[in-house]
Amino acid sequence: MAVPLACAAPALAAPDPVETLATTVCQACHMSDGNSVVPQFPKLAGQQATYLEKQLADFLEGRRRNEVMEPFLSQVKARDIKELAAYYAAQVPGPGVVLDPELAEAGRRIYEDGNEGAGVPGCEACHQLQGEGNVRYPRLAGQHQAYTIQEMLDFRSGQRANDKGGLMRRISERLTDEEIRAVAEYIAGL
Amino acid sequence: MKTRLLVVSLLALPVLASCAESGPPPRAEESGHGGQVWNEMEGEKLQALGAAGDAARGAITFEVCEGCHRNGGAGRVNGSYPRLAGQHAPVLIKQITDIRAGRRTNHKMVPFSGADVIGAQDIADIAAYLAAQPVTPDNGRGPGDDIERGGQLYARDCATCHGEFGKGAAARFYPRLSGQHYLYLLREARAIRNGERGNSNPEMVQAIKAYSDADLEAVSDFVSRLPPG
Ligand code: HEC
Ligand code: HEC
Ligand code: HEC
Ligand code: HEC
Repeated sequence: MAVPLACAAPALAAPDPVETLATTVCQACHMSDGNSVVPQFPKLAGQQATYLEKQLADFLEGRRRNEVMEPFLSQVKARDIKELAAYYAAQVPGPGVVLDPELAEAGRRIYEDGNEGAGVPGCEACHQLQGEGNVRYPRLAGQHQAYTIQEMLDFRSGQRANDKGGLMRRISERLTDEEIRAVAEYIAGL
Repeated sequence: MKTRLLVVSLLALPVLASCAESGPPPRAEESGHGGQVWNEMEGEKLQALGAAGDAARGAITFEVCEGCHRNGGAGRVNGSYPRLAGQHAPVLIKQITDIRAGRRTNHKMVPFSGADVIGAQDIADIAAYLAAQPVTPDNGRGPGDDIERGGQLYARDCATCHGEFGKGAAARFYPRLSGQHYLYLLREARAIRNGERGNSNPEMVQAIKAYSDADLEAVSDFVSRLPPG
């Protein structure tokens, strides 16, 4: 199975082992081009390389835990992280699907302005207005609603605690469930 | 002498930082008139004041703050978040380090300005960036019904420190007030009068202590109309 996929990449004489890993093992959930179709599995296409490197290192070193990902981590070597990250960063992100435009509009206000009463900063300051992120902050644009909601709830409960300075843990604590659903809906449409 | 002071404060820094995180927040009486020296020069404040701030780097680090203080530190007209653009660098450094250390209570901001998010050099960089931002004339203004009296109060009680046009004085840690949003000016003037803002200049507390709410509104309204430049 690995061979025909690797041969499909024209420039490569021999299959690149890291790319083969992505297109055989990881593709089961994230798809070969990083545009996962299962809403619980994050899209990786077009994600910031610096962010992907950090997450993979965090997974390998146990700072980020997830029982679905864990069985596959033994196949990832620390020296492959840079190349894996570059591979997904170079893929073209496909658009997300907004299911509830009214909810997305409520989410836009949180994304751009935050919530002053609760002290929620606007997400755009760090993740950028179009959700593309930058070398310091991850891309959110077009992400599956279910994944975004899950991460926000995990930050809030402390299940995910690998965010530097606890920034996302503090932000998610200040958001209501309804606000999380709304902002996830808006992010899907970016 | 000065270098020795700096070295001592550098050595003391980790201890101070961990106290700031885990210790109970100091109470209002401890600052200003309650025995503690106003604006004491120590720890990370001294470090940030002594560091050469890099405005270009500060523009990047300021991303962490922008979700509340908005683009370029413009703040919000409703006063929920103050304008930081054009504020003097030493004033910004004093206020940020006061907030970090809990001398000035600000629950909303604390998680985004702690030592695990920004260091002393970052504070110096952000201060250099903000100080160079233009003060635009689109700040929130007061109702405009008692400005004349506000002007008289200001000239009598405030101008000595904050300056005739509200430009403040960087070297003395007197904030620029011109261009600030009315509702923020009013809230802070009230907090300083009521002794609710820790490490407030004791002479300023004296100057404003006898003000009624109507006086605070009149003087804040006048200040919100000073030319921003
Ligand atoms: C069985 C499904 C599955 C497989 C196979 C899988 N992943 Fe994942 N991956 C997930 C899930 C689920 C998450 C979200 C984890 C969480 O919620 O913390 C995830 C998260 C990630 C993230 C973090 C994304 C983000 O936005 O934070 C990266 C990077 C990643 N996977 C890379 C890989 C790589 C590389 C492989 C192959 C070695 C791989 N995954 C294989 C399911 C899978
Ligand atoms: C102060 C900067 C900042 C702000 C404001 C901010 N974030 Fe984040 N966010 C981060 C950082 C840093 C990370 C990466 C954490 C890590 O390294 O794991 C992150 C990660 C995330 C993730 C996980 C992405 C993934 O692929 O797993 C989500 C989802 C997210 N943020 C949503 C939001 C939402 C929604 C808002 C607004 C309500 C917001 N963020 C505001 C800094 C910020
Ligand atoms: C979650 C929202 C939020 C974030 C993020 C935030 N602040 Fe603030 N900040 C506030 C609020 C609210 C006040 C006003 C508090 C008060 O009324 O006393 C304030 C006040 C200030 C002041 C005092 C201004 C003055 O005129 O005295 C400074 C300086 C400041 N912030 C700097 C920063 C910097 C630098 C950052 C980023 C490292 C930051 N803030 C991040 C909410 C925030
Ligand atoms: C002795 C000098 C002095 C006098 C007189 C004075 N102030 Fe101040 N004022 C300060 C200092 C210093 C600060 C900063 C507070 C601190 O951290 O000590 C300040 C802060 C303020 C602030 C908050 C600004 C901000 O950005 O957070 C307002 C509003 C203010 N003063 C209004 C007034 C008014 C109105 C008067 C006259 C009634 C006045 N001040 C008189 C020195 C003075």
